Amino acid sequence: MSRLRKFVDDIKPHFEKGGKFEKLHSTFEAFETFLFVPDQVTTQGSHIRDAIDMKRTMSLVVIALIPTLLFGMWNVGYQHYLATGQMGAGVTTLQLFWEGFKLVFPIIVVSYVTGLAIEFAFAQIRGHEVNEGFLVSGMLIPLVLPVDVPLWMVAVATAFAVIIGKEVFGGTGMNILNPALLARAFLFFAYPAYMSGNQVWTHGLMSGQGIVDGFSGATPLSLAAEGQVEQMPEASEMFFGLIPGSIGETSTLAVLVGAFILLFTGVGSWRIMLSTVIGALFMGGLLNLFAVNEFMAIPAWKHLIMGGFAFGAVFMATDPVSASQTRKGKYIYGFLIGLLAILIRVVNPAYPEGVMLAILLMNVFAPLIDHYVVESNIKKRQKRASLQAA
Amino acid sequence: MENLVDIFVKSIFVDNMIFAYFLGMCSYLAVSKTVKTSTGLGLAVVFVLGITVPINYLIHNYILKEGALTWISPAYADVDLTFLSFILFIAVIASMVQLVEMVIEKFSPTLYSNLGIFLPLIAVNCSILGGSLFMQERAYNSLAEATVFGLGSGVGWFLAIIGIAAIREKIRYSNVPAPLRGLGITFIITGLMGIAFMGFMGIKF
Repeated sequence: MSRLRKFVDDIKPHFEKGGKFEKLHSTFEAFETFLFVPDQVTTQGSHIRDAIDMKRTMSLVVIALIPTLLFGMWNVGYQHYLATGQMGAGVTTLQLFWEGFKLVFPIIVVSYVTGLAIEFAFAQIRGHEVNEGFLVSGMLIPLVLPVDVPLWMVAVATAFAVIIGKEVFGGTGMNILNPALLARAFLFFAYPAYMSGNQVWTHGLMSGQGIVDGFSGATPLSLAAEGQVEQMPEASEMFFGLIPGSIGETSTLAVLVGAFILLFTGVGSWRIMLSTVIGALFMGGLLNLFAVNEFMAIPAWKHLIMGGFAFGAVFMATDPVSASQTRKGKYIYGFLIGLLAILIRVVNPAYPEGVMLAILLMNVFAPLIDHYVVESNIKKRQKRASLQAA
Repeated sequence: MENLVDIFVKSIFVDNMIFAYFLGMCSYLAVSKTVKTSTGLGLAVVFVLGITVPINYLIHNYILKEGALTWISPAYADVDLTFLSFILFIAVIASMVQLVEMVIEKFSPTLYSNLGIFLPLIAVNCSILGGSLFMQERAYNSLAEATVFGLGSGVGWFLAIIGIAAIREKIRYSNVPAPLRGLGITFIITGLMGIAFMGFMGIKF
């Protein structure tokens, strides 16, 4: 380790002002702080002493995502074996995992390489530090995509999300929409054939080779949207995630593990998660009361384990940048996400998955919610102040 | 009744004036710097749309449409005055805007000066004329439907402008690349908001 430290220190002068590679300063700094805790301290302005900084926060989120990722890889293999009828007694867990790993890993690599390349390029050109925000986005993007998505699409979507969604606003912490969700929405609207329907969620279904007769590959949500509610898998299967879907979203259990990590470390906001769930239950209950078709009659709690709801509520809605900043605002923001997610799911036949669009929409209105919360606070205090004065 | 709710919700979210048709962009882009002034302009647009669309509905159905004049005399059954719709619609809109302007000037001089030239310009705001023309094209069946459509379109526009105003307030201190500052980034935000609004497309109640 000390040898590495020495090497870094040796080449450091080249990257300082006046050095040979002055232009690559931010790249160097990114790698240095990635390897070692930086020795710089704040020289002016406010000082906050805390063991956690952005790099640690982001790493914690990535750690929280690992259960969903591992399970997702396994499930990709599992679904593929089910579809091709290879599922027999001799198939081991490791084999399924390896099958999924081979498919998922390239997507992760493409997403990280594209995103980080753009991030570094912007940091060099604009002279700011390379931010760690993309570590999380780069992991989230593969997790919300179907497994058979072509790799070039992953690259295009990532580039779009990072440039238009984030860098033009000034980089990490300035974006108004969640970049990972933006990437997904971009693909969803630009290449709907690869992002929706029943064929895309299981590897091999699109090419159609060696698929067993009768394997539909439909997600529980699309089954429900088509009115085939009785064909939906058991609640336990949906909870554990043995269903087709985007790579990381299927298992509510794995998401809960992630949620636990986020909440335990205080990285994710429990207010948003809680109010999102309440909003969903409220809307689900309301739809149950006025149910005119089978989809509306699905018990409200089942919505929580279907599709990407759990994943969205835990990892996407809680994104500290694009969510509401105020405490009261977080409750409103989460509640509306849950409400809209279920509403879009049930009443919009075009999009069976409403969570992504609900979160994007609320990202747009989060600053407005904050604005009104702040305004009302100012008014309240003014009133109190004038009362005391009188 | 259900029909009215459907029209209302659709005109706010699905057929949003800004995000689905990109109408009324000039004042939307120019006045959306603070939430406060945008709220004022947004309410003015809601009011003007809510009044002009039903009035123009009456004009369309009782004066302009082919055979609309039969209530005067059956002899006019084949008179078609639709070529006059632009000029009549604009006349109604302009007089309504004049009214709004006088009211705002009287009751809120600060808002009046904040809105500046954009208040009288509501008269030529594409979303207002667009509202009346959509009403004509979609052939709503009753005055109530036309009113609800007008109000809904106004509310949609209102939501869009206060939404973007809040975002612009938030990013005021962001390090946006110099060439994009101001209008450039506003266009990009509008596009991103449009993507977020696409979730409502195809909604059926």
